[in-house]
Amino acid sequence: MGQKIKLVDICYARAGDKGDISNIGLMAKSSEYYKVIKEKIIPKKIKDFFGDMVKGKVEIYPLDNLESLEIVMHGALDGGATGSLRIDGTGKPYATAILRMEIEV
Amino acid sequence: MSLKKVAIGSGSLMWGDIIEPGLQMAKKADVKYICYDWLAEVTMSILYMLKQRDVNGGYPPKLIDWMCKVLPITKERGIKVITNGGGANVEGACEALKKALKEVGLKGLKIGSISGDDITDKLDKLRSSGIKFTNIDTGEEDIDSIKERVVGAYVYLGSEGIVECLKGQADIVVGGRLADNALYVGPWMYEFGWDYSEENWNKIGAAITCGHVVECSCCCTGGMMCSYWDKVPEPWNIGYPIVELSENGDAIITKTPDSGGLINSWTVKEHLLYELHDPKNYIMPDGIADFTTLKLEDVGKDRVKVTGMSGKKRPDMLKVGIGYTDGWKQELQHWFCWPDALKKAKHCEYIMREWLKRQDLVTEKIHVDYMGFNMAHGSLVRVPDPEEVADLPEVGLRICAKFKTKKEAEFFREHAMIWSAPPAGYVFNTTTAPAKPVRIIKLWPTLVPRSIVQIKTKIVEV
Repeated sequence: MGQKIKLVDICYARAGDKGDISNIGLMAKSSEYYKVIKEKIIPKKIKDFFGDMVKGKVEIYPLDNLESLEIVMHGALDGGATGSLRIDGTGKPYATAILRMEIEV
Repeated sequence: MSLKKVAIGSGSLMWGDIIEPGLQMAKKADVKYICYDWLAEVTMSILYMLKQRDVNGGYPPKLIDWMCKVLPITKERGIKVITNGGGANVEGACEALKKALKEVGLKGLKIGSISGDDITDKLDKLRSSGIKFTNIDTGEEDIDSIKERVVGAYVYLGSEGIVECLKGQADIVVGGRLADNALYVGPWMYEFGWDYSEENWNKIGAAITCGHVVECSCCCTGGMMCSYWDKVPEPWNIGYPIVELSENGDAIITKTPDSGGLINSWTVKEHLLYELHDPKNYIMPDGIADFTTLKLEDVGKDRVKVTGMSGKKRPDMLKVGIGYTDGWKQELQHWFCWPDALKKAKHCEYIMREWLKRQDLVTEKIHVDYMGFNMAHGSLVRVPDPEEVADLPEVGLRICAKFKTKKEAEFFREHAMIWSAPPAGYVFNTTTAPAKPVRIIKLWPTLVPRSIVQIKTKIVEV
């Protein structure tokens, strides 16, 4: 059994929106942590983690130069900023929400 | 020979922004241009609705007051202003601006205006010419399903109109749905004499990248930070960002002198990653930037150097936003205090749902949050059994319901006291009335060929 790490300890994040898509920039706090998230954070893991909050597909794009991942989640904003009944239809709190995720190293 | 550099500052990031940081920049910063972005996806639809109500409206009204305060300073200092604050009515905004500038006695100023973004009245014609208007988010093709509810359709324009206005010596350029990014790319293309040819794609990519970093103003100078949020100096006096772009495509990102806030490679990195999809293909009307080749380097206090930026040929298709109405939403918030705060909140939710069942109301959707638990992070947070947290000091109940008509939403709002009255521990809000119904305007994002868009510019002198 590996050791579990919470993303809040190894990453920063910022979230934005375009229509019903939420995108999260997940930035590793060190090069070593970047290797970990690049390997462990896969679309299925994100999709499973967010559950009913993300209805569509998830794409992940690595940026080696910035030691970061761009996570794109479709159907994630209850219809998008204006149509959403959630308090923040732009999904800004997804940035800190993802930091709750645990990964095994 | 030293490289030519052109510094551009950011004056605002949205309609709701404040004037002071942009004014501070106009007074103190060594910049040649200041860009005022006022628009977001939803803003445009709201502006189109305002224009429907009043043919002279359709732009953020405070644009006029702001420009009357900013332009005397920028004129004096030889700074040019670029804005998309014309919103859904560029002509109306320019007329109002002309009148207001006369009243404050500012003369000898050239106002450049850009039209061609508004295609609301052309939708049918374009449709019959074979353009499908497929929704690029959902893949839906049946635009007829929303046709009767469209409030406005606008194309995200690139830099062409801005360059033309600057060639005509405009002191201020006013456009409508100019891409936020183009406000920055335009003046750089003009200053460096770049056209849309092969040799310039990397440099235009650099301009797009830099525009992206600074177009949300304080979001790269210490605002919205996940990393340095508690280490930002004088956040109450936050300075807005400046890019000094060199003609070789390298840049320095900094901010207004003697201001608060912070610039370092983390503040820049956080915003570089904001609202991207594929970072190798950040698609803007003027080009496609690649964010995976650049390098950030801290080169001094509040100075970050960006090198290695790159880009590709601009796209053949331009993005279009079509706003359409989709019913009304009504939000209500109720607060409860110890003892049994959560139990009481849930009890009131129960009363609300039982009441709803007995009404002649069609609730299309309803969303409930327990504020203090899951309002922000939704189902990622477990809401405990009320018995487990009987000692909780206080909790909020947030209900948001969607109805087809305003009348239904208002009825729901008026009857909120039925479910909030019962228990002791309900906290009456004596300072604020419940929010009013909000019209939902949804967005249908789509693409059109660049060739159907006709950009026109005009310059008038006041």
